[in-house]
Amino acid sequence: MLPAGCGRRLAAALAAALGGGAERRRELEQRAARSRALLRRTAGLCSVCPPRRDSQDDEEPKPEASSGDGHESRPSPKELEELELLNRALEKALKVRKSISKTSLEAQVAPAEKPADEGPAFENAQEQQVPVSVRDVPVTREVRAGSKKPASLKKPSPYQLRAPYRTDPDVKKPQRRAPARCVSQGPRTAGKSSSKGVASKQGRSHRPANSASDQGVCAATELQRAPGSSKSALKEQQSFSIRDSSGERNLVAAGRQLTDAGKKSCGSRGESGRKENPTAEGISGGSTSPQTVTVQQQGCQLKLPHPYRKAYSRNCRAWEKSRLCQTSADAAAARKRFTERIQTTFEFCSPTPALSPAEIEEELKVLQDVPSLLSQYVEAEPADHPTLQREYESLVTLEGLQTTVSQCLHKLQLLQAAVESQMRLHPDCAGDVGNCCPTCVPARGRACGSAGTLAVPLLWYSSFQELRDLFALKLQVSVLHQEIALQKLTMTELLPVLESKAYPEASAAQLYRAIYTQLCEGGERFPVLVRDELAD
Amino acid sequence: TTHVLLPLQNSSSFFSRAYFYSSCWFFPSICGLSLCPLVVFFITVLTTLPGTELRLPDTQIRFVKSALWYHGYGRPELYRLPSDGSAGSRELLLAFSWLLHRISLLEQLLARNRVRTGDETSVCMCEDDLSQSEKGTTEIAPEYGPEDRVDVRYLQWLSGRLRFQWRSLHAQHQEQCKLLHKIHLLTTGCHVDQILGHFSVTEMDLIRQPENYKQLVQLLELETMQLEAFLEWKQREPVYWQWMVMTQMNFKGCSLLKSNKENLPCSLFFPPPPSIQVKTRAEDLQKEDFAATVRKIQEAVELKLLDLSNLCAPKKNKMHGLCRLVRSVSKEPAPAVSATEVIRELQMREASLQRELKQLREECRQRLDEIAEGLDGVICISP
Repeated sequence: MLPAGCGRRLAAALAAALGGGAERRRELEQRAARSRALLRRTAGLCSVCPPRRDSQDDEEPKPEASSGDGHESRPSPKELEELELLNRALEKALKVRKSISKTSLEAQVAPAEKPADEGPAFENAQEQQVPVSVRDVPVTREVRAGSKKPASLKKPSPYQLRAPYRTDPDVKKPQRRAPARCVSQGPRTAGKSSSKGVASKQGRSHRPANSASDQGVCAATELQRAPGSSKSALKEQQSFSIRDSSGERNLVAAGRQLTDAGKKSCGSRGESGRKENPTAEGISGGSTSPQTVTVQQQGCQLKLPHPYRKAYSRNCRAWEKSRLCQTSADAAAARKRFTERIQTTFEFCSPTPALSPAEIEEELKVLQDVPSLLSQYVEAEPADHPTLQREYESLVTLEGLQTTVSQCLHKLQLLQAAVESQMRLHPDCAGDVGNCCPTCVPARGRACGSAGTLAVPLLWYSSFQELRDLFALKLQVSVLHQEIALQKLTMTELLPVLESKAYPEASAAQLYRAIYTQLCEGGERFPVLVRDELAD
Repeated sequence: TTHVLLPLQNSSSFFSRAYFYSSCWFFPSICGLSLCPLVVFFITVLTTLPGTELRLPDTQIRFVKSALWYHGYGRPELYRLPSDGSAGSRELLLAFSWLLHRISLLEQLLARNRVRTGDETSVCMCEDDLSQSEKGTTEIAPEYGPEDRVDVRYLQWLSGRLRFQWRSLHAQHQEQCKLLHKIHLLTTGCHVDQILGHFSVTEMDLIRQPENYKQLVQLLELETMQLEAFLEWKQREPVYWQWMVMTQMNFKGCSLLKSNKENLPCSLFFPPPPSIQVKTRAEDLQKEDFAATVRKIQEAVELKLLDLSNLCAPKKNKMHGLCRLVRSVSKEPAPAVSATEVIRELQMREASLQRELKQLREECRQRLDEIAEGLDGVICISP
């Protein structure tokens, strides 16, 4: 236990972070559900493939959402139960270890390497442990903390969460088969007129597979039939489907191993139905049954409703006009005159603070990432150089870096001076700024330029991988911000407790280890504490 | 008396009060930004009938003063205005006009409040910075009373849950990508707007259920009206500024301080990438093509340090805020931010943050090592 009053802010901050995260997850889940529904319905229009995704998609989020999302800040009874079980398992393991270590010092089985790492249980066991000499403690033993929540045991990746559902489609398969005459359409790879058998297998084996091929399933075939698509787009789609066809063939092979007897029937059907058509550039219009309306045809026929379209194009035109609208020369001149005159009345004591707080913030943002880049460069320079040329290059690099460093430092000094004089001018304003000023507005209006400000804001990406990287990085930066904030808070709240020794003596080791883990290892690894007693 | 004179007789003029009230220029429900209260405030002030007293809440005036200070407004008279807003509409008008010009207020408002019809994603992390800095200071009431004590294991448990949450979020984001990508692929070639090329999730949903999106259509129409009002304003702009100069600028005893406030001291800007001085040593001049080699090396180093000099140079056109995600394989849609750029910036930011975190942890390690020495009878072996 921590002394009274300690840690409460930290607990509150953690709870707040959890709440915020839960909200984000809910939002994301809503959007995902909407998108999935859209895809399903679009596909379902032609009674094509992924109807089986229905139930799975509905079921899938729940395990994720329910575990670890709740607002409860106390463990649920179920979790406590699991905790209890884990503790017991751990104690048993430690008993085993003790008995083994008694017999032979070197045969250190590592039973304690289960993800169960509950601090208290482990420590209890450890304290029971009678003098183990330092040498024997496997310093390399890493008790992986993983996540505190037992539910995380099933974590690895959410896509694998679908693995259990692999069996479900088998159950559902029978009734699906009948109406799904044209199921062949969707999951089929390019140009093959395979039957639904392949579809089912692909579906199942897709679950744990790469998402890239997963998405290829539904989109690939359809995309081939893009009637007015450009050549390049077509080629891209072709290569897309080629990739997927090979991927799927592998998956089918893998899936074959995984299916049980009951699926042999559909397996055989798949094999017979599947024509090896390696030339995947089939705009194989003929091979598909005529009654299937492809999603792509459907896709191209998708039209925005008329009222929206009208409003949208009018809106577009208005934006375009506004963007191109120039400030008239008279207006610009008068504006300039006004600004100059009014600025002559501005009070600035010397030294003149020429930078507004907004500009200072802008400059600081620029400098934010410089130190890390600088250290990267410095670390990249080797200590030894084989040739004189290399050495010279290194020297020149380091000199360049040094120049940059001194420039940055100089800039920082100026900024600091500017901040101080601004604060002196209007100290009361500074406090209110946080609430009122959006950080995204550039300090200098001309920085964006009126043409730029009113242009259509687009973020374009060219590949799926880029999109994924983008989102992953954004989340990572966000998480790092949070981690750093929590780290700082933890430092201010918990380190003084240890330093002032304001805790009950008995729990010293436990407390120390908990804090060490939290602060130095991000909660993932534990130090090993050994009692300093000599074996008698 | 400091009431605002509206000299323009034309009843359809932008500045007639009727227009102000009837124009949906600053429609509050669309504006989600904090700049908007500023504008609403100014308009309230400007449209108050002369003679009536403005009773404004203290917070509003303080807000306005802060905002103006933040952007570098330096007229002392404004800051001396009483907090109840009972006087000073002329000063406020001056300040408003200055802000209009200084930060292109109207354009910014329009851009930031753009109706979202696509898969909008933010291209900067500014809001993230802001929310993080605020998080440390807000203290949420704890759930338990002052006598309760926090168990460190509880904290560990909470933080473990948080880590799990991060991972789940990652998975969710990746799935979102997958779905987005699918939809973009599926609808390529369908959009009327050639630049966009494909639908967004919103638009696809719109096709399915148009009745859910009536409000969106209305918002678009509203925005179109706002843009038309903006265009009208641009027409009348010369009149406004000339009027401001003529009637509002009779400052009594205006102190003619240095007039070049607009220019920043040059030293604050980085000069063009440092030209690396070639230091030659006398004995090395023996080599014939030494100079050529040196120059080559110099160029190579400049190239090597290009990332750094780009980072330090003031970025003129950094995109902020929300942008619509568009998939485009063949060509780059004209003025647009590319995901590659954003990714690169994010990578640099991530590296920076990782380094900061590592330093913090290192500091903790040192402090904890010291503490460990003070613990009796325990040896700590770090992982």
